[in-house]
Amino acid sequence: MKYTTFNQISNNPLTEPMFFGNPVNVARYDQQKHQIFEKLIEKQISFFWRPEEVDVSKDRVDFQKLSESEKHIFISNLKYQTLLDSIQGRSPNIAFLPIISIPELETWVETWSFFETIHSRSYTHILRNLFGDPSSIFNDIVENQEIKKRAADISKYYDDLIFATQLWQTQGEGLHTVNGVAHTISMRELKKKLFLCMNSVNALEAIRFYVSFACTFAFAERELMEGNSKIIRLIARDENLHLTSTQHILNLWAKGKDDPEMAEIAEECKEEATQIFLNAVQQEKEWAAYLFQQGSMIGLNKEILCQYVEFIANHRMSAIGLGQPFKIKSNPLPWMNNYLNSDNVQVAPQESEISSYLVGQIDSEVNAEDFGDFDL
Amino acid sequence: MSNNKDSLQVCIKHHQTILHQPQKSLLESIEIQDITVHFHCREGFCGACRTKLIKGEVEYLTFPLAYIDDDEILPCCCYPLTDLEIELA
Repeated sequence: MKYTTFNQISNNPLTEPMFFGNPVNVARYDQQKHQIFEKLIEKQISFFWRPEEVDVSKDRVDFQKLSESEKHIFISNLKYQTLLDSIQGRSPNIAFLPIISIPELETWVETWSFFETIHSRSYTHILRNLFGDPSSIFNDIVENQEIKKRAADISKYYDDLIFATQLWQTQGEGLHTVNGVAHTISMRELKKKLFLCMNSVNALEAIRFYVSFACTFAFAERELMEGNSKIIRLIARDENLHLTSTQHILNLWAKGKDDPEMAEIAEECKEEATQIFLNAVQQEKEWAAYLFQQGSMIGLNKEILCQYVEFIANHRMSAIGLGQPFKIKSNPLPWMNNYLNSDNVQVAPQESEISSYLVGQIDSEVNAEDFGDFDL
Repeated sequence: MSNNKDSLQVCIKHHQTILHQPQKSLLESIEIQDITVHFHCREGFCGACRTKLIKGEVEYLTFPLAYIDDDEILPCCCYPLTDLEIELA
C-alpha cells in the first residue's frame, strides 16, 4: 500500500492495529487505542534534559589520571554508546513510522527517537571536553572491527524491514526482482520481519546498553569521570522507558490484544526471538572481553560483567515471556541500582548548572574551606 | 488519598510474613526487613521489581507505566489495600 502523509480515508483509529493498518491521518490524542503510549510520551517529555546542563569539565583532569587500560575501557565504551544511539536516533523513525497506524504510537516513536538524538549530542559534549578534537574517536567507530560487528547485527533487522516495506509500498505484495535478486513480499512476511525487528530493538534497549552503563558507573563508584556518569544516568533513565515501550508492544501482540495475526507470529517465531536475545548476550560478553583485553579496572572485570549481562538478560527475557535461561539469581553488581534509581537522577534546576554560562569557565572545585565564613 | 491501613500483613512466598509499614510503598516495607527485591527506577516505569500477586489487592498512587501481567504488581509504586500474598521474581 502506497504511503500517504495524510490518509484521506475517514477511518476509526480506535479499530486500527498498531502496525500495517491505514496510515495515520489526524494526530489526535483525546482518544487512544493503547493509552500506554500517550502515558509514555508524557513521562518521556517530563524527563527532558540537555547535555550542556551537566558540567563535565572535571572529567578532563580525571581522564589524564587513568591508566592506559582504563582509558581503553572508557573510550571504547563511549564509541559503542555513540554507535547505539546513532542507530536508535534514526531507525525507529525510518522503520516504524511508515507502517504505524495509530497516532499515539506514531508520536511515541518520534518522541523516543528525539531523545536518542539528545543522547548522541551528549556523547559529543563529553568527547569535546576530553579531547580538543574528537574526530579520531568518531572516525574509529566506522573502522573498529569490534564495533562494526555489533553495528551489522543491530542494523540488519531494521534494514531488512525497511527494504521490504519500501517494496511493499511501491510495488505491493508479490514476487519482485531487484538488481537480479528475487524478493517475495507478503503481509505475513512483512509482519514477521516487524516482529523480529521489534525483538532486536528490545534486546538492544534491554541489555546491549548495560555493559557500557556498568563500566561508566564503575568509574563513578571510584569518584572518577562523574560528569560523564551524570549524563549516562540520564540516558539510562530514558533507555529504561524505551525498553518499557518495546516490552508493551511485544506483549500486546503476544497476548492477542492488538493484531490477532501478530499473536500467531509471536508464537511461531518464539524460538527466533529467543535466539536474537541470546546472540545479543553472547556479543555483549565478547564486547566485555574486548574492553578488558588490556587489563581490568578496580571494581570490575570481565567475569563479573558477563555475570551481570546474564542476570539482566534473565529479567528482560522473562518480561516478554521468554523465560530465564541463565542460572544466576542474585545481582553481581548491586551498586548499579543506585545509578539506575530515578530518585538519584532528578535535580532541582537551581542545583544543576545552567548551560548559558557553562562553557568550561565554571570552577566546579568546592573545598571545605569555601564554607569557612558560612554561619547558620 | 490512600486508605492505606497500618496493620496489613504481607506473606512473601519463600520468605517470612511481614507487616506493611504505613505510608511506605510495598517495596520499602519489604526492604526494611532486609529482603532483597530487584529494583531500578523506583517510579513504576522500568518494571525491574515486577512481582506476582497471589492474593489481595493493591492500589497505585502513580500510574504503573512498566509492562505487568494481570497477576503482577510493581511494589515500588503500589500500596496494599488488604493483606497480601506475593511471590518475588
